[in-house]
Order: sequence, then structure tokens, then C-alpha cells
Amino acid sequence: MMQRKWKITALLAVTLLTGNVYASAAEYSLDNDFLSWLFDFQRTKGVKPVSDKQYQEECGACHFAYQPGLLPAKSWEALLNDKALRNHFGANAELDKDALKDIRDYAIRNSAGNSWYKQSRKIAVATENGPTPLRITDLHYISRKHHEIPEKMIQGNKDVKSLSFCDKCHTQAAKGVYDADTVNIPHYPNWDGWFNK
Amino acid sequence: MTCRIKFGNAVAGICLAASSGMVYAQGTAANLELPTDASIYTRNAASLNSTSFNSSPYLLAANQNDAAVQGKPDLMPATPAPEYSPPWLTGRKAHQYLGLGTLVFAGLTALSSPGEGCEHNCPAVTAPRQTSGTTHTRFARTTAVLAVATVITGLIYHWDDFHLEDGFSDPDNQHVMLAGTGALLMLYAINKSAKSSVPTSHAGLAELGAASMLVAVKLTW
Repeated sequence: MMQRKWKITALLAVTLLTGNVYASAAEYSLDNDFLSWLFDFQRTKGVKPVSDKQYQEECGACHFAYQPGLLPAKSWEALLNDKALRNHFGANAELDKDALKDIRDYAIRNSAGNSWYKQSRKIAVATENGPTPLRITDLHYISRKHHEIPEKMIQGNKDVKSLSFCDKCHTQAAKGVYDADTVNIPHYPNWDGWFNK
Repeated sequence: MTCRIKFGNAVAGICLAASSGMVYAQGTAANLELPTDASIYTRNAASLNSTSFNSSPYLLAANQNDAAVQGKPDLMPATPAPEYSPPWLTGRKAHQYLGLGTLVFAGLTALSSPGEGCEHNCPAVTAPRQTSGTTHTRFARTTAVLAVATVITGLIYHWDDFHLEDGFSDPDNQHVMLAGTGALLMLYAINKSAKSSVPTSHAGLAELGAASMLVAVKLTW
């Protein structure tokens, strides 16, 4: 009996190990591959970090390069076109045609609905119906997560100023990690109280 | 009975030690206010009196329209946050470790099973069935304690991730349902076995519970 159990355990271990190696070999191409996600031990509870150099450089030149997984595809379609970029939240952010196409394709390919990362899946489910969100801060999921944080810690905080500046408080935002344990609000180190840590 | 009391004391001791450790691990000034339900809503009450930025001092962050930064809106160079090391132990991490511990002990329980389990045509039992004191029962009870602790810490520290309005397809809701069901199944299996003086089939339920917890962990990993 014990021998059979050890055999089953060994088989399971080998399967998991093989799956993990396979996922690693695929360079964590989690977004479209369910099997890679299933057998991968890499944490995917946030959103997929930006992996496209052009996206990082073009978008990151002006603001934090928000991960595509923070918005659904329909939002990126509405945001990343010639007309929309001419007035991109009050600024002209026009790109040349090739760059725009590449960035738009990358954003759509990695948008919330096309990712296995947990927060992306939550955003995808929450935005499936209803109007197309154009701002990440407009997402019900995001506003709900922040609704208990008083204004003085964000708008009234000279080192934050707006929810739009994710990376001011989310210290691992660039890695796609937005959990509460990695939050450090400038000037409010004990923002959450010890009990909620 | 003595063994149970000792086991209970040991578990209580571990819980107290873990609780104390969590507080000290924060490395922050201890706030000795008793954490009550109400404190969740009033802990930032000081901001109600703040008049430093406008006439409605307790506007919630989510309601902002970026008016505060208009004129120099989102298009600012990204500046990385200062170096910050997240605490190694928090309530949320404790929940994570307890959940993983539950799975490990569930596996050990399955491996240490004496191989009994019989509903029909059971062989004659020559010695009284042991429902405590064996490696298998100790692992099983530890699993149960860890499962309960995981559920409790999950409810406390991840309460704001669980919203019925998000429906069954929401990963956090799925996590709660599967992990909760898994814990209940394991507890039921242990209870079923502990109360039976004859060999009884309970492994299937317990394994189903463990599998349910495993899927729950994966969904939010």
C-alpha cells in the first residue's frame, strides 16, 4: 500500500516539475496558455509586468507604464488610436503609425481579458458588461480597493497627489504586484494600522 | 484525553506566539488600541478634522477626478517609490503560510494512512481501532487546526476581497468557496473517523477537501 502511495506521489511530483520546467522554458508566456499557468508556481496574483520594450519606453516616457492587464481590450482599443492620442487626458501623445500599431497590439494581446493573472481576471470579469472604462481609476474594482483611504493620504499628500500615480505607494507596481503588503504611502508608514497588516 | 489537552495547549501556544510575532515583526510603533469592528472605520478619523487642502476634508480617494492635479495631470515622469522592504510576516502572509501548511499536512496525512477504510463486508476487528495517538491522526488533527486557522485569517485579512456582487466567476469568490468547502470536507472526514469504533471510509472526503483547497490556492496564487 505504502509503495503504491509513494509511486503516486513521485508521479505527481514529476508531473508538477515537468510542468514547471515547461513553463520556464516558455519564458512564462502565461497569458494565452492555460496549461502553462496551471503547472506554473510563479506567482500570478497581480498583473503581468510590462515585457515590451517599446511599450515601456513610449508610455513610460511620460507616465508610469501601466500594465495592459489593468484594462480590458475594449479600453485599449478606445485609448490607443490616432484620434484618442491627440488628446490623451489633456496632452498630445501622438505616435508614429508603426509604433502605435505595435503598442496597441501588445496592449490588446495582454489586456485584462487575455491574461491569467488574478487581478487581470478580476478586472476582466468586472468590465465584461457596461461602459468602456478609459481610466484605470474609473474601474469599480480599483475604486473599491481604495475607498477607505482618506484623501489626506492621496490628494493631500504632496508625494502622491493622485490615485493615478500607482507607483508612489505600490512599491512593486513595476513588477505588477499591487497587494496591500507592498504598499508604502509616503509619510504614512502605518497607514493600515498594525491589526490589518 | 491528556494527549488531547496537551495538543490543544500546544496549538494555543503556537497561535499566541504567532500572534505576538506578527505584531513585533511589523517593526512599527505598537498601537495598543483594541481592534474592534468600529476601529476599521474610525482609525482615520483624524482626517475628518483636516482642513489643509479643501473644504470637504474626507473626500474618499476613489471619488477623485484628478482635479487636484489638473494642469499638470498624469503626464509626469515616473519616479520610482523609495526603497521599501515589505514585512516578512503580515496577517495576509500568515494566511498564505497557513494555507500552504494545510496542504502539506493534508499530503502527510494521506501518506501516513494505515490503509483502513471499509463500508461493507469489513474484516473482523481484533484490536480496538485507534482514533488518536497515531501518526496519521496527529497529522490529520494538525491539518484540521491549520485549515481552521487559514479560514479565520482569510476572513479577517482578505474580507475586502470577497464581494458577492462580483459573482461566481470572480477568482476571489471562487477561492473562498472552494477553500471553505475544502476545509469543511476535511473537518467532516476527521470527525467521521474519530467517532467511529470500526474502520470507516473517510479518505475520499478528506482528499476531495484537500484537492478543493489546492485548486483554491492555485486560483489566487
